[in-house]
Amino acid sequence: MTRPISRRAALAGLGLAAASAGCLGRTENIAGRNPREQLTLEINATPADADPNGIRIARQLEEHLTAVGVDVRLNTVGQTDLWRKVLINQNFDLYVGQFVETEPFDPDALYGLTHSRFVAESGWQNPFGLTEMAVDDLLDRQRRATGRDRDDAVAALQETVCELQPFSVVAFPDALTAVQENRFDGWTADRQPLSVTGLLGLDPVAAGSGDGGAATNASTGGNETAADADADGAAGDAADSTGEALRLVTTDDRITENWNPIAAEYRKYGTFTGLLYDPLARADGDEVFPWLAADWERVDETTLDVSLRDARWHDGEPVTASDVAFTYEFLRDTSLGNVETPVPAPRFRGRSSLVEGARVRDDATVRLTVPDVNETVAARALRVPILPEHVWSERAHAATIAGFELDFETTEAVVSNNPDPVGSGPLRFAEATAGESVAFERNPDHFLVRSASEDDSDAVDEPADPRAGIPLRYHGKPAFDRLRIDVLPSDISAVETVAEGLADATVSNLGPESVPRIGRSADTRLVSGRSAAFYHVGYNVRRSPLSNPRFRAVIARLIDKAAVVDDAFDGYAQAATSPLAASPTEIPESVTWADGSDPIHPFFDDDGSLDVEAARAALRDIGYRFDDEGRLLSRGR
Amino acid sequence: MTPLLSVLASVLAWVGTLLAVASVAVIGPARLREGWGGVRGRIWDARRGVAVLCAVLVVSAVGRSSLQVVSELFGLQATALIYALEGGFVAWVQATFATPALTAYLSWVYVYGYAFLLAFPVVAYLALPRTTTLRRVLVAYALNYGIGLALYTAVFAHGPRNVMPDMVTPLLFTNRPDVMALTSEVNVNTNVFPSLHTSLAVTVGTFAVLTRDEYPRWTPVAVWLSLSVVVATMYLGIHWLTDVVAGFALAFGSVALAYRTVDPRAEGVEPSGEPGDESPPSEPNASD
Repeated sequence: MTRPISRRAALAGLGLAAASAGCLGRTENIAGRNPREQLTLEINATPADADPNGIRIARQLEEHLTAVGVDVRLNTVGQTDLWRKVLINQNFDLYVGQFVETEPFDPDALYGLTHSRFVAESGWQNPFGLTEMAVDDLLDRQRRATGRDRDDAVAALQETVCELQPFSVVAFPDALTAVQENRFDGWTADRQPLSVTGLLGLDPVAAGSGDGGAATNASTGGNETAADADADGAAGDAADSTGEALRLVTTDDRITENWNPIAAEYRKYGTFTGLLYDPLARADGDEVFPWLAADWERVDETTLDVSLRDARWHDGEPVTASDVAFTYEFLRDTSLGNVETPVPAPRFRGRSSLVEGARVRDDATVRLTVPDVNETVAARALRVPILPEHVWSERAHAATIAGFELDFETTEAVVSNNPDPVGSGPLRFAEATAGESVAFERNPDHFLVRSASEDDSDAVDEPADPRAGIPLRYHGKPAFDRLRIDVLPSDISAVETVAEGLADATVSNLGPESVPRIGRSADTRLVSGRSAAFYHVGYNVRRSPLSNPRFRAVIARLIDKAAVVDDAFDGYAQAATSPLAASPTEIPESVTWADGSDPIHPFFDDDGSLDVEAARAALRDIGYRFDDEGRLLSRGR
Repeated sequence: MTPLLSVLASVLAWVGTLLAVASVAVIGPARLREGWGGVRGRIWDARRGVAVLCAVLVVSAVGRSSLQVVSELFGLQATALIYALEGGFVAWVQATFATPALTAYLSWVYVYGYAFLLAFPVVAYLALPRTTTLRRVLVAYALNYGIGLALYTAVFAHGPRNVMPDMVTPLLFTNRPDVMALTSEVNVNTNVFPSLHTSLAVTVGTFAVLTRDEYPRWTPVAVWLSLSVVVATMYLGIHWLTDVVAGFALAFGSVALAYRTVDPRAEGVEPSGEPGDESPPSEPNASD
């Protein structure tokens, strides 16, 4: 009786047992109990061709989860499918992916990522389904508090998020790119080589390295003298005449078929849509400067007046205050009230949630209602792409397929590929072949290339300069007439193409197979910058047992971040604990990666490999059980 | 596009050379001269097979990208299943057998040997006086491609090099990155189940065994090459063992179906190839 009987044997004997009179009731009591089954978890990741690093993290986790008795299904899906699954359908257990912001970001980025008010929405707003009052409170506090108080709130927020692990930060990758240096330079600037600001900061080699160097020094030093401005202007004009194309190669074909800045499943960091659409303000490191906005002014606690530069959409229409007001309303509800429940944009939600109202004051001034938040966070509200009302208001209806409205709770705006995108940015769309290539061209009408002398020969004051407030390194940019992106099958072929001089730089992630190839070609160089787009393992907190923070903590401890950095990134990454590890924020010691170990959820380390017994013991401690074959048991989900 | 063109040129050069050598060595100058006679008639005779194969290839070329989308959205996501089924078999193959020489040989086989393997039977069987085998080969090719395309659409999976890059090196592409320009042109990395390299190579190998009386010298060459292709698909980290097993099944199925559908009676014995030829069954190895 005490010997455990396998379920199959028990079932076989069931008929016999039931037939024997007297113990029918007891049989029912046993048969009526659902047996425990082995826990199954699915890990979703993109294949090595799409991202050579992420799949290696997934593989390690798969091995370690298998070792502790979980039945793991390692599933590879394309990049669009991964985000469709995770962000749109929220139909996943675990995934391995990168955060969407590659430039060091303000702690307020966590608001969109983890606040429970977004739990019913789809997109990059709380994809994990976290609902924790402690997190919500701290997120709200860091929006209001200033100075030391905000630092404290941010510190507490990091500790709480790390403790709860709605996602496990694995590592901050170095943004690696293989570049051919004979046509453009400026790749080495201490920012992301392939971000909006990185691409705009490039200089043509032909313009003479002296000018470029001086301009770079001046802008990093921050002293914008007239002499430097002239030198830079000259470089910019020289760029005009060279007519060069910047040729990039990537493994990510999404930019060849979709240019919708709010389509979460098609955007990685939104770099190229970021060049098509101008935000009101841009940030570069700590510095926030006006972009499409000429300036902004805090009128009172809750009001912000934004004045616009003179700008036109790519189709020739003027950019007006009404477009700005429209954008904020639209990001909050892409249906503009046409659908019963608001359909918020799946990107920029954290930022757009800051703006409660937008009112047109005159053609070039818009008044934003930004409730009681600190300056830093308010400036974040200005960093959403401004969309043309005359294009996007047509897309506010419910999405249809062949004229049929299906109940997908989405709008045309969210699902549109946005063909022939009309933005106001420094680049405009030229042509594309889906899956193969896309080309953008310089927008000759953009304020970056309009110089003050043309408009106003007297050059009276700051306001006359159409580029006032914009750092000198962007004046006259971009340094190329065309930006062409070709899609290649893997990181290896991307590096080879650059090495052969057929392209200027790689865009997509490089793995340990391709990085060593860069050094083999004389003209090709590896450029690296620190990326804030941390790799993480995301958990679907809506699902048991991932809803249990203690269980997530054990999974976090199965990740050997130090080994990931060595093996998956070839050392080109930094292991981390806090999602803000790359941000210009104070990281409390309690969540600082130190001495090769995670301070909160250290790896179950047994001399470089997984200490299976320790992991199992930790699972037993928090109430999980194993069968006699060592399988982790769970109730059916 | 330059890498693609250079790879294409080298494929053509290899296949051309090998075809010339094999034609002389396997078919023999005498038979070649003799066979040249009614070649137009025999091509006319095999027109249906040619048409079917061309149709399948055109559909595949035109429809592949849209079928790929269908596969992404509605296909069975099988990577996890296949991986759970066979685990690290391919990694074991690489870890156990990989040497630079073998990598070079199998990379060569995967691209050039394979192209030759598919091309030669068409030439060889066209040189035969009867077109039955030629037509069967063409139909078998078409079946391989057609069924393969259907399975590619129904099953969405990535190959071992994409799933366990830490253990499986993409040997073909690390060794010959230029080849990637060609492979990505003709296929995408989610079309792994079944292995069409395996199924087409095994189809040729099977035909070589079945026609060993006609071309005894071809049989060992074809079997060796086709088995090399089979091994190469896994050794190079491109296919799972599961894909290869499915490839064998597809190959045998296609050959059997080709024998069933292509009737030896309807062949044109005369060079002129009268369409209404109703000669009595005289094929000794008709295996209906």
